[in-house]
Amino acid sequence: MLANIYWKRILVAVRNRGTLIWTWIFPLMMATLFYFAFSGLNEAELLKNIPVGIVTSDEYKNDTAFQTTLTSVSDPEEGFLSLTEYDTEEAAKEALKGGEIEGFIHLENGSPNLSVTKNELNQTILKSFLDQYVQMKHTVVSLIEEGVADVSQILSLFETESWTEALSLSKNPPSETVSYFFALLAMVCLYGGFQGLDSVSYLQANLSSMGIRRTISPVKRFPMVVFDLLAALTVHMACLLFLLAYLVFILDVDFGANLLPVIVTCLFGSFLGLSFGAFVTAVSRAKEGMKVAVIITVSLTCSFGAGMMVSGINYKIAQTIPLLSWLNPAARISDALYCLYYYDGYSQYFLNLGILAVMALVFSIITAFFLRRQRYESI
Amino acid sequence: MIHVENLVKRYGKLVALDHFNLDVKDGEIFGLLGPNGSGKTTAINCILSLLTYDKGEITLFGKPMSPTNYESKRKIGVVPQNVAVFNELTVYENIDYFCSLYVPDKAKRKPLVEEAIAFAGLSDYRKFLPKKLSGGLLRRLNIACGIAHKPDLIFLDEPTVAVDPQSRNNILEGIKALNASGTTVVYTSHYMEEVEQLCSRIMIMDKGRAIATGTKEELTALIHTGEKLTVEADGLPLSVLEQIRNLPDVLRADYAEGHLKADCKGYGHPVIDVLDLLRQSGVHFGQVYSEPPTLNDVFLEITGKQLRD
Repeated sequence: MLANIYWKRILVAVRNRGTLIWTWIFPLMMATLFYFAFSGLNEAELLKNIPVGIVTSDEYKNDTAFQTTLTSVSDPEEGFLSLTEYDTEEAAKEALKGGEIEGFIHLENGSPNLSVTKNELNQTILKSFLDQYVQMKHTVVSLIEEGVADVSQILSLFETESWTEALSLSKNPPSETVSYFFALLAMVCLYGGFQGLDSVSYLQANLSSMGIRRTISPVKRFPMVVFDLLAALTVHMACLLFLLAYLVFILDVDFGANLLPVIVTCLFGSFLGLSFGAFVTAVSRAKEGMKVAVIITVSLTCSFGAGMMVSGINYKIAQTIPLLSWLNPAARISDALYCLYYYDGYSQYFLNLGILAVMALVFSIITAFFLRRQRYESI
Repeated sequence: MIHVENLVKRYGKLVALDHFNLDVKDGEIFGLLGPNGSGKTTAINCILSLLTYDKGEITLFGKPMSPTNYESKRKIGVVPQNVAVFNELTVYENIDYFCSLYVPDKAKRKPLVEEAIAFAGLSDYRKFLPKKLSGGLLRRLNIACGIAHKPDLIFLDEPTVAVDPQSRNNILEGIKALNASGTTVVYTSHYMEEVEQLCSRIMIMDKGRAIATGTKEELTALIHTGEKLTVEADGLPLSVLEQIRNLPDVLRADYAEGHLKADCKGYGHPVIDVLDLLRQSGVHFGQVYSEPPTLNDVFLEITGKQLRD
C-alpha cells in the first residue's frame, strides 16, 4: 500500500505539466541562457597583449639592449606586448591614428619616447614599462661607471623580477560565472516548494477532494505523509541531478573536483524547498494560485539575493545586512557550493548545511502541527 | 448501521445542522433530499468525521465514529460531490490507487479494480487520463474510485451533477446493482426524480433540519395534496375556474397558457366533475393528464417553497 502511494505519487509528479515546466524545463533554459550570456566573461577578465609599434630607426637598430628587452616582453605566451615594426615615424603615426596600435616607441638620444593618443590602462602600462626600463638602464650604467667590475653581480640584481610570489587562496581559479549557476541551482532547490504544495494539497480534506478521499481512508496519517513527501523528494532530487548533469557534462560548468558534496547540498536544499512549500500550503486557506505565486516570488527573491540576477549582490547584502543573508536559504545553498568550489576546509560548508537543516525542520514542525488535524471546522 | 442523534453544526452564526437525527438501516438506499445549502453534505462530512460539530452523537456500525476509527473507515466508501481523482493518473491507476488505501495486497486488489472498471463501464478507457474523459465518464470514474474496495456502506454525494441523461441512468442502475449486492447506500441529491426512483427511504432536509422522513408513499401521505390534474382548455372563463375551485375534492386550481391545473384533496378524484363542468360551460378541452403527488409537492406544502428555489 505505502509502496503504491510512493510510486503513484512519483507518477503524478512526473506527469504534472506545471512541475515539468517550472522545475525541469525552465532551469535548463536559464542555465543555457547564462552559459551563452556569460561565456566570454572570464576571458574578458584576462589582459590581452598590447599592440604597440616601434620605429626601426638607426638608433634603435644599434641599441641591442633595448631590442632584446622588447623582444622578451613581446612573447605571445608570456609577454604583454604585441610588437609591430615601422620604418618611419610617419608610418607609425598613421597606424596609431588608424587604431592598429595603442602607441608607438621612438628612440631619441638613447631614450625611448612613447607616443599615444589616449590615456587609458594600456597606455599607462606602456609608460610604466618604459619608465622602468629607463630607470634600470640608468642604474646599470651608473654602477659600471663607478667601477663595479663584476657585471654578472649587477645583472643578478635584476634577475629577481619580483620579491613576492603569487599564490592562489582558492582550490580553483576565480570565476565570475560559477556564482550565477550556484544561484540557479539554489533557485531550483527552492522550487521544491511546488512538490510540497502538491503533497499537502492532496492530503488535506479542506484543500482538495483527493484530501477527502485520503482522510476518510483507513490509512494512518503519518505514514501517508512520509511516503508522499519521500516520493516528492525523490522526484525533485531527480530534477536537481538532471540539471546538475546538464551543467557539468553539457555546459562544462566547473563545480570543483568532488560532486558528492554538491549533491548533498542539493539534497538539503531540496528538503528545505519541499518543507517550505508544505508550510505555505498548510498554514493558509488561500487559493492554490496564490500559494504558487508566493512560492515563485520567494524563490526568485531569495535567488536574487543569492546573486542570480546581479553579480556580487549576495556579498553586498552579507556586508550590509548579514542577518538577511544568513536567513536567505538560496544564499546559504549558493554559499555552500561556493565553499566547496573555493575553500579547502568544510567548516563554512557544514555551517550552511546546518542552517538549511534548521530552517527545513522549523517549516516541517509547523506543517506537522497543521497536518495532525484530521477534522476541520469547514471544508 | 448509521445512528445520528441531535447533531448540531454551526459555521459562526449560521446553523448548518439543527438537532439533526438520522437512522440508516442495513441494506437500504437512503436518500437525503433537499435544496442546495440545506445541510446534506455537511451531515455526511460530520458522519465521516471530516468536520467538527458542536453537539450530538454519531455511531457507525454500532461504534462511535472518530477520525481514528479505522475499523469503521475500512468498511466505508465515499463518492465526493466534486470529482476526486488525480489528473495525472490513468483511469486504471486512479482506481488502483484509491483501492490500495483499503486493500494493500496487490494480488487481491487487481480483480477488484477490474470489477470496478467493468461496473462503471470504463473498460474502453482504462488507459485514458481524466482530462480525456467526458463529464459523464469522469463521474463514473469518481464512483469507481469510491466503490472498488467493495465497502459495506457507501456515501454518494450528488454523484449525477452535470451528467448527461444516459450517464445518469447508468449511474443510477449501477447504484441499484450495488445495493442488490448488499451494500447500504446513503445518497444525497437535489433531484427529486432520482431520489424517488432510487431510494427505499427518504429524508427531506431544509435549513439544516430533517423536515420529513419515510418512504415516498409515507411522505406523500403527509400532505393534503393528492392527484394533480392538467387539462388543455381554450378560453376558460374566470367564472368556470371559480366553480372548479369550489368543487369539494379540489384543493386549488389555476389557469394559464391554455392549461387548467387542479390539485386534488387527499384521495379525492374530481376528474369527472371537472370535465362535466367544462362541457356544461361550453369550454372545448383537449388532452387530460393526471399524476400522483411528488416529493416536490411534499417540500412545497411543508416549507412553502419549491425544492429547486
